[in-house]
Amino acid sequence: MSPWGYLLFTAWAALATTMTAGWWLMGLALVELAFGLMWSRRGLRLLHRPRFWAFVLSAVALGPFLIGEPDVAVGPLRLSRAGFTAGLEMAGRAFTLTLAFGLGIASLSLSDVVAVFDRLGLRGLGFATGLAMNLLGTLREMATVTLQTIWLRGGVRRPWTALRLFLVTTVANTLRYGDEVINAAAVRAFDPNGGQPAPLPLRRADLWLLALLAGYTGVLLAVGMW
Amino acid sequence: MSSYNVRSWVTIGLFGALWAVVEVTLGSYLHLIFPSQANTFLTGVVMGGIGVGVALTGRHFVPNRGSVLLIGVVTALLKLLSPGGAQLGPFVAIVMESVLMEAVLWIARTPRRWAFVVGGALAVGWNFFHKFVMMRLLFGKGIVEVYTKMVRDGSQMLGLDVSAAILIIAVLLLARLVVGGIGGWVAWELGGAVARRLGRRTPAASPH
Repeated sequence: MSPWGYLLFTAWAALATTMTAGWWLMGLALVELAFGLMWSRRGLRLLHRPRFWAFVLSAVALGPFLIGEPDVAVGPLRLSRAGFTAGLEMAGRAFTLTLAFGLGIASLSLSDVVAVFDRLGLRGLGFATGLAMNLLGTLREMATVTLQTIWLRGGVRRPWTALRLFLVTTVANTLRYGDEVINAAAVRAFDPNGGQPAPLPLRRADLWLLALLAGYTGVLLAVGMW
Repeated sequence: MSSYNVRSWVTIGLFGALWAVVEVTLGSYLHLIFPSQANTFLTGVVMGGIGVGVALTGRHFVPNRGSVLLIGVVTALLKLLSPGGAQLGPFVAIVMESVLMEAVLWIARTPRRWAFVVGGALAVGWNFFHKFVMMRLLFGKGIVEVYTKMVRDGSQMLGLDVSAAILIIAVLLLARLVVGGIGGWVAWELGGAVARRLGRRTPAASPH
């Protein structure tokens, strides 16, 4: 699937989540899971994270205590059935929206992001993103070395001076590193404002996705959910 | 965008990467020590304060309109593309912080100390509303009832008046604004100090 498909899916799923209620959220979750199994298995790893489930299920746990009037007694606890239902719906909404994001935009690779920006006429932003991604490790290493050097030279005794030195050195070194990148880009005649953008065509899977989403939207419209 | 040259984009990429380094390393560390379910204050304030410091320092070296927003977009994308970083919350927070900083700089027209301070304060102040906005977005309108009941029950449990709870909330917001303002002030001073040290004022005006 092309990056357009993932972007389309994220936009559609986010819109669908805000406009869907009740058990239809379950249907939406199933559509998202089907999408994940077919085109975004990496995004489904979100479901293996305990933190994700703790976040989603907190709504189910809190709902019976904090929403509506208590009408059921379970041992010493007085719970609200309406609260449980509302909590379940809240959890469903959080699940579908978070999953939509994880399966869609978050599944794009760096090269996909750069290609999309290039196609949208934002070549410079794509270049900056790619550059930043590639320099993350270098900048982290540089900051660590600066910190250790200041530490070894007695920075602990004068923490404010050490902090100032650290900040100035880190920013100055970052800019110096930038000069090297600029020279390299100039040698290769890179122009962020010129040139033809590389084509990023739709693929067959994008059309299948479009048909699937259109069908589901039609069902929601037919039952009056939208 | 045509006013942006190679140097502008490289500098945006570098400061976006610097902010992302802070988010990925220190942010992950703080989230591990203070899980977001238990702590909504410290992590956001620390990360927000450093983030606005980095982004506004970058503004010294890319004096084009929109540069702080673009630094924020790069950082948000890096956070998104980093392993285990596919989360909606930090993405929205970083983009919103940079939008607020950029809005203040846009109103100020030329870079000024007060604009850095106010922009920084508003950006970190956003963290206060971020949790509520994201919860409303993710959980729907039921979350409003949950929060109202929690404040009421919490006040009763601690023997406090509801107005005291509002006072606590106001203090938490004020603390964020102060930290953000300090972040903006530090960025102004730091950017100036580095520019003087490197002997350059408006690097984006260079030919490349």
